[in-house]
Amino acid sequence: MPETEASRLLKRAEHYIKLTKYREALAVIEKVIRIEPKNPLCWYLRASAQIELEKYSDAVSDCEKALAINPNYADAWTKKALALYHLEQFGPALAASTRATALNANDASAWYIKGICLEELGKSEEAEVAYAKSLELEIILDLKEEGRSVRK
Amino acid sequence: MPLSKPIRKYISETEELLDTTITLLRKPDAPPGGALIDVYTYRLDKNIIIFPANYIGLLKDFIITKQCTHLLIKGAAEEKSGYRVCSFTPDSVYTGMRQIYYDALKDEVKKEKKLPVYKLLEMLFILYRQFHEHINDLPWNPIVNARAYHRMEQLRKTQLYILLKDGKRDMDEMSDLTEIVPRRYFVLDKSMFYARDLFLAKILPADKLMPVVNIPQMKKFNHLEVKEMLTTRWTHTAWYQSKYFGDSMLTIMEKQLDVEWNEESTLDYYANLYRKGVSLTDALVNYMSMKDWFIWEKPQHLHVAQEKASEYEQAALKKIFGDLIED
Repeated sequence: MPETEASRLLKRAEHYIKLTKYREALAVIEKVIRIEPKNPLCWYLRASAQIELEKYSDAVSDCEKALAINPNYADAWTKKALALYHLEQFGPALAASTRATALNANDASAWYIKGICLEELGKSEEAEVAYAKSLELEIILDLKEEGRSVRK
Repeated sequence: MPLSKPIRKYISETEELLDTTITLLRKPDAPPGGALIDVYTYRLDKNIIIFPANYIGLLKDFIITKQCTHLLIKGAAEEKSGYRVCSFTPDSVYTGMRQIYYDALKDEVKKEKKLPVYKLLEMLFILYRQFHEHINDLPWNPIVNARAYHRMEQLRKTQLYILLKDGKRDMDEMSDLTEIVPRRYFVLDKSMFYARDLFLAKILPADKLMPVVNIPQMKKFNHLEVKEMLTTRWTHTAWYQSKYFGDSMLTIMEKQLDVEWNEESTLDYYANLYRKGVSLTDALVNYMSMKDWFIWEKPQHLHVAQEKASEYEQAALKKIFGDLIED
C-alpha cells in the first residue's frame, strides 16, 4: 500500500519528537490534523510535544480529543495522566494512569506515574506496588535493549 | 519529566547544601550509569545529570540519586579542602608505561605466540590510561552506592539490579584483550571490581532480589541474597584467579571505608566521604605498586593532561626506547 501524505508527515513528527525538536514536530502535526482530524495518533503526538513544551493544559485537551476518537487508546491515557500530574491534579492523574494500566499492563511509564500519584495522595503502600510493577517492566525493557546492543 | 517524591527532595537537598543548581537531561546515547557534568570539574554555571532516555521510572531515579551523591562528595570536598582528582604528568606516564613494558616482557617470554611490536607499544599507553580511568572512578563507586543504599531506602531494589548490571559489564570488560594485556594487570584490574562487589555485598546485606521474581531473565537470581548473588558470579567465572588479589583489596576497602553510612547530610559528612575515597585510592594504588603513576591535582590539571596525552605518550616511548622510536 502506498504511503499516504498523512502517514509520511506523522513519521516525520515522531522523528522530530525523538530528536527533541518539539516546535518542529508541532508544525508538522498541525498539517496532519488538517488532513486527518479523526486520526487519534495526531492528537496523541501533539499532546506529547505539548508536555515537553510544558503546555500541560493543552496536552490534556489533546489527549481528550484522542480518547474521544478511541477511548481504549492506552498511550493517550498515560500521556493524559502525565499532563494531569504536572498540573498537580493527582486524583484525576491517578484515575487516568489506572485506566492506562488496565488497558496495557505492560506500560512501565503508566505504572510509574500511578506510583508517584499514589505517593502524592499519601497511599504509600499502594505506591510501592505500582513502583514494583514499573521496575519489573523497566528491567525487562532494559534487558531487551541490552540484548539488542550486544547483537549490533 | 516526573520524579518520585524522595528524588525531588534529594535534588533540592543537594542544591541547598551546595548552593548550586542541577539540571536533568535525558539522552538516548547516555552511558548506562548516566553521567555527571559538574561545576567542580568543568567551568560551568550549573550541574547536569544525564541519564539514558529509556530509563523512565525508578532506574532513572536511581541514576539521579547516585550522581547527586557523587556531586555532594565533590562539592563538599571543594568547599572544605579543595576537590582533587588523579591526574598525570609526563614523568608519571613514563613511570607507568615503563613498568607495564617490563611486565609485558616477562609475559612475552612465556608466550608461544608473541605480540607484534607495534601492538606492544600501543598497549602500554592504552593500559596506563585504562588504570587511570578506573582508579579515578572505582573507589567512588562503593562509597556512592553504600551512601545511596542507606539514604534512599525506596530505591534498594532498583539499586540491586543496577549493581548486578554494572558488575557484569565490568567483569566482561577487557575479556577480549587477555592475549594482549600482561596477566598481572588483567588480574589487578578484575580484582578491583571483585573487591567492590564483595564489599557492597557485605554493606547491602538485608534485601533479597524479590521484585524481579517475575522476570524470566532474572529467575536464576531468585531467592538469592545479595551476597550470594554478587559472589556466585565471581566464583563461577574465569576470573577466579582475581580472588587472591581481590580478597586483599577487599580488606583494604573495608579498612579504609570504616564509615557510618546513615548519618545526617552535612557538608562535613560528605567531605569526610571524600577523604575516605582519597585514602582508598592511595591504598589501592600502593597495593598495586603504582605509587608514582598518578598525582592528585585540580581537575583543570587533568583536562590539560588529557589534551596533551599523546604528547606524553610519545615522550615516554622515546625515553623507554630511545632512538628506536621515530618522531
